[in-house]
Amino acid sequence: MPYTTFNQNTFDTLKQPMFFGETVNVARYDIQKHKIFENLIEKQLSFFWRPEEVDLANDRKDFNDLPDHEQHIFLSNLKYQTLLDSVQGRSPNVAFLPIVSLPELETWIETWSFSETIHSRSYTHIMRNVVPNPAEVFDDITRNDFITRRAVSVTKYYDELIAKNSYYTQLGEGTHTINGKIVDINLRDMKRTLYLTMVSVNVLEAIRFYVSFACSFAFAERAKMEGNAKIIKLIARDEALHLTGTQHILQIMAAGKDDPEMGEIAASCKEEVRAIFLDAAEQEKEWAGYLFKDGSMIGLNQTILAQYVEYITDQRIVAIGLPPIFNAKSNPLPWINSWLNSDNVQVAPQEAEISSYLVGAIDSAVDTEDFGDFDL
Amino acid sequence: MNQSTNTCQNSSDGAIANNKHQEEFLLDGLAPAHEEFSLEADTVEAQLDHEPVQNSLLLTNEDSEQPEASAQIDFAGMDKPVHMVSIHNAVGHSQAVPFQHADTLLESLEAQDVTVHYQCREGYCGSCRTQLLEGEVHYTEEPMAWINDDEILPCCCIPKTAIRIKLT
Repeated sequence: MPYTTFNQNTFDTLKQPMFFGETVNVARYDIQKHKIFENLIEKQLSFFWRPEEVDLANDRKDFNDLPDHEQHIFLSNLKYQTLLDSVQGRSPNVAFLPIVSLPELETWIETWSFSETIHSRSYTHIMRNVVPNPAEVFDDITRNDFITRRAVSVTKYYDELIAKNSYYTQLGEGTHTINGKIVDINLRDMKRTLYLTMVSVNVLEAIRFYVSFACSFAFAERAKMEGNAKIIKLIARDEALHLTGTQHILQIMAAGKDDPEMGEIAASCKEEVRAIFLDAAEQEKEWAGYLFKDGSMIGLNQTILAQYVEYITDQRIVAIGLPPIFNAKSNPLPWINSWLNSDNVQVAPQEAEISSYLVGAIDSAVDTEDFGDFDL
Repeated sequence: MNQSTNTCQNSSDGAIANNKHQEEFLLDGLAPAHEEFSLEADTVEAQLDHEPVQNSLLLTNEDSEQPEASAQIDFAGMDKPVHMVSIHNAVGHSQAVPFQHADTLLESLEAQDVTVHYQCREGYCGSCRTQLLEGEVHYTEEPMAWINDDEILPCCCIPKTAIRIKLT
């Protein structure tokens, strides 16, 4: 069936599955099959923030004072996060929107993807403030082997689904010969690809990001790069919501009530899902090795970061109803909880350290030298 | 304004010049001649027939640090939930703590040195997801994270009955 931007058929939205039903026509939210997606949309909208709200003036000084190996850790993490958010800022739209069948889910995907574009913009904001030539850093993303190697595993499921979607929407089910290549398109296989894509997205947002988060917060624990940590905190808050979104989609699929065939597929894919989680964990551990190749940073080294990857992987795989892989019981970085906690995220302009609000105000940064001539 | 400033500041040379104005610049006027001035009336102590009450003016009866009088806060439309929470952890160790001094189960557990994983504390991330073995909880906020039938999110619920939970 060819894709149409406004489906003329009359059908009962509540009877459609999440994906591969009738394409959405009226963007209406008065009747909803899965109310959770509207809750997620509302939450995401309430999280709205702009990178420019966070002042990074002190971060440039901090960055220049960092030793070379710590600058490498900082920049490499930012490069990797830039890659991840570049993918997430477009792929959910390209991959899921042509096949989605529920208006509330369609809007959630758009809202979700949009918030990733804010993250991408925030990386440019950080780079502009921290390094003299941001282009060097961004250009390296497509040249650096360690980053491109991981880009493959991040994007391969997306790319497979997008390719199949385009055949499916043009030619429908069946065996097609395209440019001399035989392509077999059947719905069950596409649903399987969709399920695995969703798992890889969950892994991307729930595990891959957290290695970078840990490093950013480890800098901030030492009162270094605090503006950056403030931005990462806002990003972490969004990602926590996104991973809840993909967990819901995966659990709804696995339950089989929404689409019985999807339930069967989920049950038959358990080994592959486990392999996706395990692969991601191993790649992240390898990445930790690259980050710390020239030396560790205070409070964080390759071993601890690897333990954290195992811990977080177990947390995430259990959340989608599968047994843990590493049996890591305790969090090796307990201090990270308070950084990931959104309670103390402040985004109101007068609360954040924005230079325009600080004009004419007394600078609260006090050096111990200022007390030099004080006698008691 | 200008003159009153002079009165205060001048010590020797301006004092004589301003002397004639002194009366009108005394805010309260001159003290009545018949009233004796003393820092403390020496008759007060003799008249007291009860204990000094100064303490009660400075300190409230309730110690806000230790609100013993109301160990449990109120939840609209509910009895104060004073229930025991039995905790089993992964290695088979168990302990029991009352639900008290807290808005949520998570806070109550933390206040009593029970470690629970957390992140958002608002019910959307699912980090505190915990298995409920027995009992019932009431959600003070709608949980947004995925939870299975036998699981609860301590960050946004309170116990309705005595409960038994399993922490990983």
